[in-house]
Parts: sequence; C-alpha cells; structure tokens
Amino acid sequence: MEIKKVLVANRGVPAVRVMITLRDRKIPSVAVYSTPDRLAHHVFMADEAIHVGEAPPKESYLNQDMMIDAALKTGANAIHPGWGFLAENPDFAQKVIDAGLIWIGPSPEVIRAMGDKIRAKKIAKRANVPVVPGIEGVKSPQEIIRWMKEEDISFPVMIKAASGGGGKGMVKVSREEELKLALSQAASEAKKAFGDDTLLVEKYVERARHIEVQIVGDMEGNIVHLHERECTLQRRNQKIIEEAPSPALDESLREEICFTAVRLMREIGYYSAGTVEFLFDSDTKKFYFLEVNTRLQVEHGVTELITGLDIVSIMLDVATGRPLPFKQPEIHPNRWAIEVRLNAEDPKTFNPSFGRITRLQLPHGPNVRLSIGVNEGDEIPPYYDSLFLLIMSAGTNRLDAIRVMDRALGRGLRVEGIKTLQPLLLSIVRHPKYIKGEFSTRFIEEHMTELISMFRERNPDEEVLKIGRYVAEISALGPQGWM
Amino acid sequence: MSKSFVYVKPGMTPSEIVKRVRELDGVGITSTGMRDAGQSDYKNRLRIFDLKELAPFYNQMGLFSAECHGGARWHVGIMNRRESPFEEIEILRELMPNVLLQTLIRETNLWGYRPYPKNVIEYVVARVDIDVWRCFSFLNDIRNMRAVAEVVMKRGRLFEPAISFTQADWTTNDYYLKVVDEIVDLCGGVDEIVLCIKDMAGVGSPERIRSLVDAIKQKYPDIVIQYHRHATDGLALPALLAAAQAGAKLLDVQEDSLTRFYGQAPILSLQAYLEEAGIKVHLNREAAEGAVQKVREWIGGYDWAESPFRGFDHNVTRHRMPGGAFPSSFEQAEKGGFLHLMPQILRVMSLYNRIVKYFDVTPGSQITWVTCSGMVNRYAKEHGLSGVEHLIRLLTKFVEEKNQNFSAMTKQEQKELLELFRTAPGDFKNLLLGGYGKLPVGWPEEWVYKSAFGEEWKEKLKERKELSPLDSLKDEDLDAQRRQLEDTLGRTATEEEFILYLMHPKDAVDYIKFREKYSETPMVLPTEVWRNGLRKPGDMVEFELWGKPYRIELVSVGDEHDGLIHVVLRINNRTMVYTVETPRAKKAEIRMAKGPNEIGAPVSGNVWRIGNPERGPIKVGDIVHKGEEIANLEAMKMENAIVAPFNAKVVEICVKLNESVQEGQLLFVLEKV
Repeated sequence: MEIKKVLVANRGVPAVRVMITLRDRKIPSVAVYSTPDRLAHHVFMADEAIHVGEAPPKESYLNQDMMIDAALKTGANAIHPGWGFLAENPDFAQKVIDAGLIWIGPSPEVIRAMGDKIRAKKIAKRANVPVVPGIEGVKSPQEIIRWMKEEDISFPVMIKAASGGGGKGMVKVSREEELKLALSQAASEAKKAFGDDTLLVEKYVERARHIEVQIVGDMEGNIVHLHERECTLQRRNQKIIEEAPSPALDESLREEICFTAVRLMREIGYYSAGTVEFLFDSDTKKFYFLEVNTRLQVEHGVTELITGLDIVSIMLDVATGRPLPFKQPEIHPNRWAIEVRLNAEDPKTFNPSFGRITRLQLPHGPNVRLSIGVNEGDEIPPYYDSLFLLIMSAGTNRLDAIRVMDRALGRGLRVEGIKTLQPLLLSIVRHPKYIKGEFSTRFIEEHMTELISMFRERNPDEEVLKIGRYVAEISALGPQGWM
Repeated sequence: MSKSFVYVKPGMTPSEIVKRVRELDGVGITSTGMRDAGQSDYKNRLRIFDLKELAPFYNQMGLFSAECHGGARWHVGIMNRRESPFEEIEILRELMPNVLLQTLIRETNLWGYRPYPKNVIEYVVARVDIDVWRCFSFLNDIRNMRAVAEVVMKRGRLFEPAISFTQADWTTNDYYLKVVDEIVDLCGGVDEIVLCIKDMAGVGSPERIRSLVDAIKQKYPDIVIQYHRHATDGLALPALLAAAQAGAKLLDVQEDSLTRFYGQAPILSLQAYLEEAGIKVHLNREAAEGAVQKVREWIGGYDWAESPFRGFDHNVTRHRMPGGAFPSSFEQAEKGGFLHLMPQILRVMSLYNRIVKYFDVTPGSQITWVTCSGMVNRYAKEHGLSGVEHLIRLLTKFVEEKNQNFSAMTKQEQKELLELFRTAPGDFKNLLLGGYGKLPVGWPEEWVYKSAFGEEWKEKLKERKELSPLDSLKDEDLDAQRRQLEDTLGRTATEEEFILYLMHPKDAVDYIKFREKYSETPMVLPTEVWRNGLRKPGDMVEFELWGKPYRIELVSVGDEHDGLIHVVLRINNRTMVYTVETPRAKKAEIRMAKGPNEIGAPVSGNVWRIGNPERGPIKVGDIVHKGEEIANLEAMKMENAIVAPFNAKVVEICVKLNESVQEGQLLFVLEKV
C-alpha cells in the first residue's frame, strides 16, 4: 500500500519536522490541533487541518479515537505520531493498524515490549547487553532499601516510570528520607504522562554520560545503525544539548556500542527508526543498556546532519514495506553536528515561561539548521511541552560545529516576549569544559552558578528595544513626573 | 596648533600641581559648568548627553579643573537623569584627558546626607576616579575630613579642603584662621593642597573677602587659595576681583550662557574684568567662547528645569540659602503648595541661623530648610498667615531685641519657644546631639534642647557627642550590604553598583532597575526626546549605540483602552508594538508570599492537588508536618511538590484547586506549632 496522505498526530516542532519531509516527498499532510492551537505554526505548515479537541492533552493530542477519526475523515491513509504524545503508545499503534491505516513507526508489539522498561531490560540481558542493576515494580521505600542492601548499592538511586521516557516520572533520590515523596511523585507523574504508574529503581551511575545509537530497520530484517549521539547534557533529566558523534568514544568503543545496539534491535525484530540508549561510565569505559526509544527522537537531526540522510523519509518507506536503500558499509558520517533545545523556560530556574513570542529572529548562515515549532506572534500555551525551536549546527569537526553554534545563539537568534534557555545554552557552548568534551549528566547542576555568571552579554540590537520601550512610554504618557 | 594653555593634567602629583599653580602668571580658573552651575540654576537636570559637548572645549581651555561631580549631581543623576556618576567620569575622561576632574564631597557625609562610618568612607573614596577632591564641612569640623584626606592623599590625588564661608558676627578672620590652622595641620603643610573658600550662598562682600584672603595669606604666604562663590547677591564679580587682588590664585566661574542667578560668575566677563584691573586670567579665550556658544545650542531644552524664583536676591546675606539649594527649595515649596510662604520662610531662616549656628550647605542647608519651612507651615496651618507673622515677631523679638536672653521673654513667649523645635526633623535633633560633629561656635542654649526634646532633654544632653562621627560610628558590614543588594537584584552587583548602593540604597536600586529596563536610554536620547518622547507620527530620533547606527520612528500612538495604549514604533525599519500601561491600567491583585510563614509557588503552573494522596485534601486548621507535601503544581507536564517547611497549622489556603498561579504567588499561610 502506498502512502497517499499523512495525518501528523502531533503539534509544534515534531509536527512541523514531519511535514517538511512530507512536502519533500510531495505527500499531502493533515495537521491536528487543539482549541488553543488553532493558529499554531504546524497548522499552517500542513495542507489541511482538523480540530481534535480542547486544550488538555487528554482531550486532544492524546485522544486516540479522535485521531483515527480525523485521519478517516480527512482521507489520510497513514499516521505519523512525531515524538511525545502517542508516539510510543502500542494501543494507539494497534488501533491505527486496525482501522486500516498505515502506522509510520515500529510494530505495536515492539513498542509494547520496549515500553515496559522491565521487560526491555530482560530482553537486553538475553541479548547479552549489559544493564544497570535495578529493581522492578517497586511500591514502597522498604522494598528499595532491602534491594539496596542485598545488591550492596548506595544512594543516590533513580526512580523511573516503567513505561516512561523524556524525564517524566523520573526522580533522583539521594537520601532515604526522600524516598517516600519521590516514589509518589514519580508514580503520579507516570500515571499522568503514560497512564501507568509502575516504577522501577536503578543504581544511579555518577558522572555518567548518556550515549545513544540511532537505528533504522526494515520489515525484511535489515538493521543499520546511523552511529551514536551524545546526549549527556541534561537539566532535570531532560536533554538540552546533543551532538553526534560522541566526543567520549574512540573507534573501537564506538564500534562496540553501535553493534551492541544493532544486536539488540535484531533480537527484537525492530523496524522503522528507533534508538538504543546507554549510560556510559567514562571512568571505567563501561556502558549499560538504558532503554529503547521506539520512535523518532528530538535529536535525530544531528544524525541526519552527519549522515546526509532523512530519517523521517526512511520511516515513510519502511512503513510501506520497502527495504532500506542502503547497507551498513554505505553509511559514512563525515561531519560533526550539535543540537540545542530552545525551551520556553527561565534559564536560571527552568520554570516554564508562557506568553506571546513578540519577536522571533532566527539565525542564518552556513551550517545552521533549524527545526521550528512556532511563528513570531504565537502564544506558548501552558498545556504542552516547552520546546519551541531546535537549532543545529554542523562543521567538519567539533570545534567548527561549536563555533557555528556560538554564532547562531550569540549573534543570530533573538526571542522576545518569553524567557528561553538561550543564555544558558550559549554559556554551555562557551564553557571550556564543554569545549574540551569533558562533561557528565551533572554538568549543568554542577556548573550552574558559573554558567549564570556568563549570561550578561549585551548587544545593541537587544538594548535598542529597551530604548524603544522608553520612547513608547514617554510618547504615550508624557514627561516623567519629576520633569 | 597654537600654544597649549594646559598647565596641569591628570596624573600629576599634588605637589607638582600646587607648584604649577603658584608659578602661574595671573589666576587660574575652575569651570563649574558641569556641576554647580547646573545645580544652582537647573536643579541638576543638565544631562551628560549635553554637557559632554563642552568637553572638547574644556580640554583646550587651560582650566585648573572642571567641577563635574558631587553629591547632588550624583543623587539627582541616579534618581532622575538616570546617569551614574561613574558613567559621567568615564565619558569625560575620554573626551577631556587634559582636564583635572573635580568633585565636591561632604566630609563624613560623602555624597550622601548622613555621616558614614570610616570603613565606608575609605572603601568608597578609594574607588572613585577623581583628580581634585574639594571637601567641605557644614560645621567646619576639620576632624571630619580626616578619613577622606588620608585616602585621597595616599592615592596621590589633590586634596582641596574648603572652609565654609558665611557672613555673620561670629565668622571673623580669627575664627577662620583657626580653621585654616587645623587644615594645615591635617594636611601636613600647604604644599600639597589647595585651600578653598567656599562661599556657597554668595554672601561675601568684596571687602570682607579681600580681608579674609589677605589674613590667610599673611599667615600662610605659600598657600594656594581658590575662591568659590555663588552670584546670588549680585556681587560675584567684584568679590572675585577682591579675592584675586588679595592673593587668591584660583577662581570658580561658569560659561556666560549658563549663568542665571544662583551659580557662579560668567567666565568671559571675569576674564575681561580682571584683566582691566591688571590681573591676568589664564584662559584660552577662543576655546572658552566655543564652550559658551555650545551651551546656547542646548540650554533652551531646560527651560522647564529653571527655578521658579528668578533674579538676584541680596537678602541672601541674611537668610543665607546656598545657591545649590535655591531652585530645589522653591520647587519643593511650589510642589508642596506653600510657594507664597517663601518670603516668610526666608525671614525665619535668617533668625534661626542666629540661634543654631552652623553653615547652610549640605546637609546643614537641608536641616535648616526642613526645620524652618516645617515651622512656618505649622503656624500657617494652625493660625493662617497671621500665625506666621506672629512667629516672625516672636523670633525677631527674641533674637534682635532681647539678644537671645531667654529669661527676658514673657512666660507665654517662653512657653511658645519651648514648643518651637518639638516637631523638628530627626536630623535637626541629631545635629544638636553631635551626630554630625561639633558645631562651629559651640552648642545652642539649653532652651533649644528643652524645646527639641521636652522632658527628656537632660538625658538627651548626656548623649551629646563631642567626638567626630569618624570616631563614634561603628563600621558597617560591607559584605552584608553587598549581599543585601545582590539579593534585591537577583544577581551579582558590580563594584560601581555597590558604591551607588552604599550612598543611596533605595535610589540606587531604582536606578539599576531603570537601566535594566530601559538600558542606555539616558545616554543616547536627545533631551527633547528624553523629555517628551516623539510627538507625532513620522518624528524620529537617531543615535549610535556601541558603534552601530539606530533610528526610532513613531508610527502611531493608539487610543487608551482599559488603561492600555499601544504605541507603534519603527526601529531600524522594523515595526515594533509596545503596550504601555497608563496609571488607569487594571492590575490584577496577586498576593505574593513574603515572610517565612507564607508559602509561595516555586514555579508558575496549575495547582492540581491541595493536600497529598495519603491524607487527602488539606483544610484550614489542619496540622501539617515538616516535609509533608501540602500541594502540587503542574507546569508543562512536570510535577512540583510543595512541602511544609516546618510543623505547622494551616491558617489560610490562598488558592483554589486547578487555579493557575504565578511564580512566588501566595499559596498557604502557616503558623508554626
């Protein structure tokens, strides 16, 4: 069956990203939108659009039946879920297929197997993939304490939602007293985000790095890795800067980690695009299986930049049963790429910053790629993820890519009306340790004060807007009181 | 280029500067155009944006110094002009590298209004880049100058101690010679200082000044004397000539075109007048004419800032209001609605200053002003104009007829006098108790203390200090102050911001916030736009910011709706819409958490649970335990638990379930149990 029209069951950055490939492929696209998203950027990127409900995600972007109805109503014969929302929901994938539509993603069985972190870990063990010591299905602090004693594990430990991802339902616990509150918070977040409050607890690998391998596979059993990505820089367990390749690996480790990922994916019969995530302990050079993400990932762009491929396009082909158009030896990354996530957040406190983007000036120039979720003038609504823009840079080597990113963040990008991570991201890419590639998942929390102290770079284009504000106020209100 | 007139320059040692001045053929001059001139007639409203235009001329004029820095310029700078004194110094240094920059500093009161402890003085004086430090005491209490003198002289900058001058029966040559002795003593001789006679009200008659300068020169033939004089009595030029003839080597003047009534004498006129009398004035006349002309290009933009009282006032010799206080006092009177009482207030001042004797210059002039205007206003409120006339009659009788013999007054009059200072400001009372230092010719009579302090007067008298505040004030905890500022700003403060804060805490924070919000506005906007904005569509303003050209053009100012006005500007051809709130804008009242018993929202978000799953919802009156979750906020799919910081009773729950709250918004009021 050929794909005739695709309903993109998402909003913002992922929806727009998928639609761009659909345009490339001359496949018509259908956008979905909740009431507050009526004028959102993704709606106008699509060829047509359909309302799917009210603001709360449950009533719109997570409403499975509504999504399928929308596809049927608009004559779309395929659904791409983007990332987040329904992307890793096996029930939804199954419903799509049952409705006679093409599901652009891995099989529902694989999603289900890998979505259950506990099962995924078992499968990984079976495939001889090293895993982090952990305990599953925990309900009480006592269980955790007992397990820690038995396995000789000390704090901190990490609580995770068994069916989670993206940092939601994930809580790091450093002291026994915190366990109780952390458990209930994780369970509650997990329930809300994934509809399942099963938890697991793992040993927390200190100063670990987070390295993942991009995989693509077809229904004929071909699995090819597109090399690794380094996703170590996180705040509140959510990645904010990613790059490919990883500066932490040498060639033999790279080969080992990539082929381990391929072995695992082959074991589970994976097709479409997916990612195997590992924790990497740079002191011992050991890596541990973390999870499989059965979807397109936010940071897939850096892999596209270093390989020249379009992963969404590959997903479209695989979904219709076509084989991968290449073999492993044909994949030759020859660039270094970095991605930063522009979240609508206070760069000091990470508190969300809602509101209207009164100005959005985007960076240009060689080796810059953007993935945009909003237009100038759009509101950032409080209901959804705070990511509204991805900026990627590329270069012949890491320093080149960093230089381009410094230019894009420091001289090109200007966002007004909301707070963004821009100053923090710029401080990070300018930090000597980042430039040397020496960092762990705790880099941001450990260097926060220093990073904040690097914020105050003023440029005249910013400052003149403040002068404009004064001129506007005096022009409207007359001289200041003391005059 | 023609011959250089520059004879002293930044970087020279004090002794070198003093030597050059001594060797100068004729007199040298200081221009006060950048400070005192603008203070005395324009309330310190003249902006560095305009004043800096004079700098290239000053650079060639052959000035002794440019007075460009001082307490009121500093304070009004951060409060109104929104310029920092540090910015001004930086700009002037660059534009006139030949010129000695001069400040006017109030001994222990620095550039503020209260005595600062020694460690603050030392910290601040060491960090302000000024060449000539003219330092005065409103009490002529030379002990108070010690800390400033030490730091300035140690830095190799020129210390210029000033004697505060007024014309009164007690300000004799003998009195001043004693003050000069103390100064010479403090400064270790006369070779590294310039002595200033500060005639801040402009009251020295030519012959009085001639006699004083002569007396000092007789005793200290090598001392370099600078005469600083306001023009209020209309006799500035002849007094300056008399001073020069008696041996003053340096004179203060301002640009002719800046001259109004209360500042200094006109520069070009002075040169002509003195040279006719046979005294050479060292001045590049051509450059001075250029500066005078330059002023005319922008001074018209400050008409609104001029004093409402115009014209010379020879009665200043009695009320002694200093030139620098003239326009601001009248402005305050106008704002306070008692401008019509000014003649009476000035009359009361002329009687008051014979009862409590000190010099009317900051902070003394403020004490005099607030005390006397308060007294007059009180009488006016209680008994109308006839009450004020009664007050003047009472004081006139006491001072002029009875020669301040308290017992010669009737019982009723005594009773009234004993009430006179009861409502005087705290600063006045602090002055009586020695808080600023010793009064120049002794403490006031006992009845003044009874009047100020009532029945407590005896105990208060025991508290009176004979020491200089330098010796009596405890050091301040500078680290704590800095932390306080940084907490307020939410970031680290620069050294300069910290110094601004030490001088005027509240105004400094306002200034810093203004500049965070409006950036370089005060530096780049011409005065017309600074004052009025852009008036009609198509009006524009052009400027450069850090080397890049900008243009702001007005497209439209919308009508007011619900207290909001939309203003459309084109900034370098890009359209920007600004929403401006008028005073009528409705502000949603949001209670923010303040004290430790008030629990605020850590993030903006939605209150999706009040209480916790274990105990269910929490109600007012419930007891919660330390660490227990009492509510949960969701923001962008992340949960944020609010936990009780201590064992407490819930006094108030300030939000409803599923309410959206702002960061910092009050959620709970608790009471420790």
